[in-house]
Amino acid sequence: MNNCEKFQELIEAYALGALDAEEHAVLDAHVSSGCSDCAKAIEEARWVVSHLAYLAPEQAPSLTLKNRLMQTVRAEATASRRPVLVFPGRTLWTWMGVAALIILTLYSGWNTRRLQEQASQARDSAAEAERDQRKLQEQLAVTEREVSILADPASVRISLLPQNAQAPQLEAMWHPELGIVVTGQQIPVPAGSRVWQLWLIPKTPGAKPVPSLTVRPGPGGKFVLPVFTPPKLIAETKALAITEEPAGGSPQPTTTPRWVGGIS
Amino acid sequence: MSSDCSSGPYTSEGAKRESVLLEILNFSSQREVPPEATLPQRLIHKDVKAFEQLYDLHSRIVYSLVRRIIQQSSTAEEVVQDVFLHLWRNAAQYNPEKGPFVPWLLTLARNRALDHLRLKSERQRRREDLTEVMPPLAIAPGYEEVLDQKRRAERVQALMSSLHPRQKQAIELAYFEGLSHSEIAETLKEPLGTVKSWIRNGLQRLKERLQATS
Repeated sequence: MNNCEKFQELIEAYALGALDAEEHAVLDAHVSSGCSDCAKAIEEARWVVSHLAYLAPEQAPSLTLKNRLMQTVRAEATASRRPVLVFPGRTLWTWMGVAALIILTLYSGWNTRRLQEQASQARDSAAEAERDQRKLQEQLAVTEREVSILADPASVRISLLPQNAQAPQLEAMWHPELGIVVTGQQIPVPAGSRVWQLWLIPKTPGAKPVPSLTVRPGPGGKFVLPVFTPPKLIAETKALAITEEPAGGSPQPTTTPRWVGGIS
Repeated sequence: MSSDCSSGPYTSEGAKRESVLLEILNFSSQREVPPEATLPQRLIHKDVKAFEQLYDLHSRIVYSLVRRIIQQSSTAEEVVQDVFLHLWRNAAQYNPEKGPFVPWLLTLARNRALDHLRLKSERQRRREDLTEVMPPLAIAPGYEEVLDQKRRAERVQALMSSLHPRQKQAIELAYFEGLSHSEIAETLKEPLGTVKSWIRNGLQRLKERLQATS
């Protein structure tokens, strides 16, 4: 333990990654030599250090990231369930032996496997159905709220006029409590992965545009952008604007507005 | 019935059928109350649902941490994707006997983000982008999850704010920017010994308070 005492003062900085290279290497060597006390102390210090993550301002990743990840993960899970038989450089006898073994195994376990496959299919179907149901419920909730905003007499209508006279007009309905819905038809789709982004222009003179959500028009140029928690109150906002931005949106406008609508 | 089903590989055909049926029943009950603690283990068996649950539970704190380190949203998402794919493909690397899952995941995320920062020499660019405003949230978060993270964040922030501001700054420079003792001493224009004792004492105080409130 005496040997450990000289390392104790390095434990926290080691877990934090703040040790200079030489000290880090010395402690590494000591732990690698099998000191369980120091190894345990390092694990505890790592637990403490991991809490520092909560000092980071809280933010959420985009929905696109989750979709991208789930697509990859599902594809890999499906591939891993597929049997792959590769026997490079085997002789005919080896092949025949392997084939006979496989046939024997398949025959003896056929019934069990059939049931297991049914169980697996049932699991997949149940999970799929649950996901679909959840998605539908979410979509329904969003749609219901959009309809409320569009139909409620308390909503304020804002016409967003295109800067290019040939482009179609957008229309926003802003309900003081339920949020904003911006809609339009035959709206052009921005090139590549770029998106349309909504901005709230504050009444305060000199204040910067406040960024809101982004959208890419659907089939037929259908444009629906619900913003249920606008970053500013309607009373504080003098206009809405829409610009073209990179995927994920921008903190400040990087292009000139394509649609602008004043709030009367 | 249950004792027959767990009698090993040499079960009769009937017992095998029962074990399959039991598997279905067990699955149903797991689906209703997913035990969070077993999610990482389920990844080893390529359980997509477990992965999605883990992502939903932890993606916000992982993204917040990586975004704070990298200071650039699109690059941060690339790193977060890398972290979760690593988790998916190498789930067996996590050993529950060595500690809880979340600290392990956050350590992995922090290391990946700092590696990225070093490799891409983004530190200079980050300084130029310091005025960047945080982008709006792209998805509505789950209320309970946000509340839980808020509580944790408030607890850690309260603990850290009780430290001397320079001491807190030294710890943050090490954690979020990956600076060493010497680099921090140079940045803060303080003696090396002072920086070392700030960091050590600060983390020890944090540990004591975390243990007291756990």
